[in-house]
Amino acid sequence: MIRVEDIQKHFGALHVLRGITFDVKKGEAIVIIGPSGSGKSTLLRCINLLVEPDSGKVFIDGVHVNRHGIRHEWVRQQVGMVFQSFNLFTHLTAIENVTLGLTRVKGMPHDEAVEKARKLLARVGLAAKENAYPAELSGGQQQRVAIARALAMDPKAMLFDEPTSALDPEYIREVLDVMTALAREGMTMIVVTHEMGFASSVASRILFMDAGMIIEEGTAEDIFQNPKEERTRSFVGKILR
Amino acid sequence: MEAAAAFPLRAPPKLVSRLTIVHLVEMILAGIFMVFVVLPAIFRFSLVNPAFWQIYERFYVTGLFGTFFYVALTLPLSVALGFLMGWARVVRVRIFSWPASLYVNVFRGLPPLILVIFASLFGTNLVPQPILDRFLSGFRRGDIAVGLAAIAIAMHSSAYQAEIFRAGFQSVPKGQQEAAQALGLRSWQGMRHVILPQTFRLSLPPLGNELAVLIKDTSILAAISGTELVAKSRDLLGILPASGLPIVWIFAVWTVVAVTYFVLTYSVTRGLRLLERKFHTPGLEAISL
Repeated sequence: MIRVEDIQKHFGALHVLRGITFDVKKGEAIVIIGPSGSGKSTLLRCINLLVEPDSGKVFIDGVHVNRHGIRHEWVRQQVGMVFQSFNLFTHLTAIENVTLGLTRVKGMPHDEAVEKARKLLARVGLAAKENAYPAELSGGQQQRVAIARALAMDPKAMLFDEPTSALDPEYIREVLDVMTALAREGMTMIVVTHEMGFASSVASRILFMDAGMIIEEGTAEDIFQNPKEERTRSFVGKILR
Repeated sequence: MEAAAAFPLRAPPKLVSRLTIVHLVEMILAGIFMVFVVLPAIFRFSLVNPAFWQIYERFYVTGLFGTFFYVALTLPLSVALGFLMGWARVVRVRIFSWPASLYVNVFRGLPPLILVIFASLFGTNLVPQPILDRFLSGFRRGDIAVGLAAIAIAMHSSAYQAEIFRAGFQSVPKGQQEAAQALGLRSWQGMRHVILPQTFRLSLPPLGNELAVLIKDTSILAAISGTELVAKSRDLLGILPASGLPIVWIFAVWTVVAVTYFVLTYSVTRGLRLLERKFHTPGLEAISL
């Protein structure tokens, strides 16, 4: 479904991604962990081309997407993205946040878009909040709207960039529940997170990244119980306490 | 998205509250009190004096329409220029942002009176002859000079408005554009549907302030005898001493002028307040410069 081949990325003098290669099969949920500054977010952004890789190839559903002739807008419709800071459109209500992409990108008629948005908001448990502005929602509710907004485009895969790191502890559960349900329904997803419970129960595979490279890859058990690399061991030791 | 609402949206915010109405009534009562009680008591003169208006009316109406004309010319022009310059300043392309910065700093740094003097004296030399011949041949040279001076006032105001719009643009978090892109919106669509509506809401309150300043600044055109309220009122006062009319009329004329400017700016700022309320969104409250 998604294939990344030897991705390199520099920001000025900073070498952020140093040759990343991995594969995500359809229906897999991949969790990426690693210390901050290890390039996890940049890697996700390279997949939907919010960041253009310096070299290397990104394939989505077999299509080489980071080359001339492929519209970025098209790529971004194939993979939805959920941000750490939600990034809901502040001036639009919950339902308008979900319909914007449908009407403006997909050209869906307004009524149809509203109907679809209502279903999606119900799916993330926010049917009653459709007319609330983001500022009137809790962090957890905002993040669920953001998930509904991304799902509205019928993406083939979803990217989650630390979706619960900006949340107060009491709201983390509700967001993870929505994500877990998504994974169970067979959505292909790549999740950058430090929620070990989620990683253990949902992830088909875990990638450990450090300093722009994938250091180790394996099941939750491999990574958390029997890490092979010293760097993995030290990181896992820190986050599992 | 604001207009099309086939589904039940939230109840629109109440535009005119009871407090606004009470406020308005108070203002009107205070005005009536001034005109009918205070002024007659102090100066033995009422502003509803028919003899006064018989003479002043012609000057007043001509002047008022002149002021309306210059406001109608400068207000949209300054907003358009201000928006353009504000936008150019945030674009990360030097050939746009550098001239825009220069523009803002020059026009903000000069007193509008100086700009008006320059524009009226030398402005016509800057307009290419073919344009003068083609489009402006119907106007007198003096009128063109005043028009250019009005444009100079608009440019002065637009420098301030550019800063307001720049602040508005910069207050929209970067994540908003990123989220728009991640949805598959083209960058102009992100601009149109995500960034601009937020900039607009954030800029509206300080913009109202600046527009009030602009309206009052059109009175500077009196310095070069543009046909507007202050100049026309001064015209009347020029003939007053010789005509043997009561000297207290001087005071009356300037009172009328003052009240007129007040009503003008007050209505515009109130009108913008209504807009502000109509587009009020939780989480998008006004910026301050």
